[in-house]
Amino acid sequence: MQRILIVEDKANSRELLRTVLEQQGYAVEEAQDGEQALVKIRERAPDLVLMDLHLPGLNGYDVLKEIRGNPQLASMPVVAVTANAMPGDHERVLAAGFTGYISKPVALSMLREEVNRWLRPK
Amino acid sequence: MPDPKLVFPKPAAIPEKGANASLESKSIPETIAEKRFRNLLEAAPDAILEVDSSGRIMLANESAEKIFGYTREELYSLTVEDLVPAAMRSGHSRHRDSYVSSPQVRPMGSGLDLQAQRKDGSLIPVEISLSPNRVDEGLRVIAVVRDISARKQIEQRLRAIQEQFNAELATKNELLEARNRDVEQANRLKSEFLASMSHELRTPLHTIIGFTELMAEEVEGTLNDKQKRFLGHVLQDSRHLLQLINEILDISKIEAGKLELNVGTFDFATCLDEVMAGIHQQAAAKQIHLENKTTFRDPVYADRLRIKEILYNLLSNAVKFTPNGGSVWVESRTLDHGLEISVCDTGMGIAESDQESIFDKFYQVGSTTKGTREGTGLGLPITKKLVELHGGKIHVASKPGQGSRFTFTLPLLGPPSL
Repeated sequence: MQRILIVEDKANSRELLRTVLEQQGYAVEEAQDGEQALVKIRERAPDLVLMDLHLPGLNGYDVLKEIRGNPQLASMPVVAVTANAMPGDHERVLAAGFTGYISKPVALSMLREEVNRWLRPK
Repeated sequence: MPDPKLVFPKPAAIPEKGANASLESKSIPETIAEKRFRNLLEAAPDAILEVDSSGRIMLANESAEKIFGYTREELYSLTVEDLVPAAMRSGHSRHRDSYVSSPQVRPMGSGLDLQAQRKDGSLIPVEISLSPNRVDEGLRVIAVVRDISARKQIEQRLRAIQEQFNAELATKNELLEARNRDVEQANRLKSEFLASMSHELRTPLHTIIGFTELMAEEVEGTLNDKQKRFLGHVLQDSRHLLQLINEILDISKIEAGKLELNVGTFDFATCLDEVMAGIHQQAAAKQIHLENKTTFRDPVYADRLRIKEILYNLLSNAVKFTPNGGSVWVESRTLDHGLEISVCDTGMGIAESDQESIFDKFYQVGSTTKGTREGTGLGLPITKKLVELHGGKIHVASKPGQGSRFTFTLPLLGPPSL
């Protein structure tokens, strides 16, 4: 089963994403902040990371920098799921090295599509 | 000794002259020509001095008396160094010697601020021009000395005025810069506020819309019809709220001048087809006949997404305000330098008194839109701004009860600022 790590500080948002992704047949893990995410990723790298940008402590950009700085993780897909949806945010996110960008509020169909683009459910 | 022939005593001053000089001047009759030259000399506003090679003053006119404060008698007993400020005196005789060795007409001390010393010791600013004068007795120098006190005073006052003006200008510039900084800061704060507001509003909407969709999909359990309908209401209104947030941000961006067009070349007909396809369902739900009557088939140079937004806003308005079974259609017309698009409907129409105001923010035509007041009141203002950003114009022609025709133009050469 392919594993997705959700990095998100809000419990209800984590539950929403977990429910949708588990329905799709993915194994879901959660991290509440950047530090926890890095610990989990180093323990066992997931197949995809869905990451909020506003996080307590290390923010999403900081975590991504750590991930991309590690040669073994450099190619891991990391998609930003963020309520930063002002003009220019999408470009900024991709320029920082994220694999994809999903804006909140997320339409479920769009979320499924984007996840399946990077992973194939098994 | 002054040259008796050339000593022109002013009439009243004759008794004051040196006995020898006045005697001699009286002894030689003055010719008419000499009299004319004497009058000329005395009438000159500048001091005119003739000096011999050792610096003695041989000739002085009336203005010399006035400017230096000496009587003519006194002047004739002085050397020209006595008229030079004490501090400059030692250098002056050297300058005089060098002038005598290569005499020519020239201003003295050009580029320097020259001063002369009066009898009472006071200094006055002067301009001096020198000319050699060869006479039987040898080389003499004629010095024309102009008192420029008045001019200097005016210059000083002008300088003072200029300095005051410059100081005031500097103060005003500082104020202006400070104000610019304030405006920039206010703009930055406004942008930051909008960005954080957008984030804070989207975050709860994310879970509201997400969980509602999830429940409506019935994967977690089946719903009865009433529950489905209720969830539909929640979903519809949350999406409306999201649209409102997006539009408020849009209009704020446009008003702050921060909305930038992403311009490119694209096929207009395809773009319109996509929008019509998107509006098809809304029209079908009201049995509205939707038709594309445009004939324009060329590419346009514009912001594709914003053009779609313009078309979508006008078409969804048309469908919204047209009763069941009515018609909505789009027409095109090619202009000299542009394209004209009209979105027409057989809807309720707009009273003449409302036709201007509908492009104002948050204006909604009240009584005539019974039951259909569900817009944000921002759709048309945004549409208008987007058309204008592209360098086009928008207007409406409408008769209540007969329908409306919204027409906008699009310059084919692209937005004006590009």
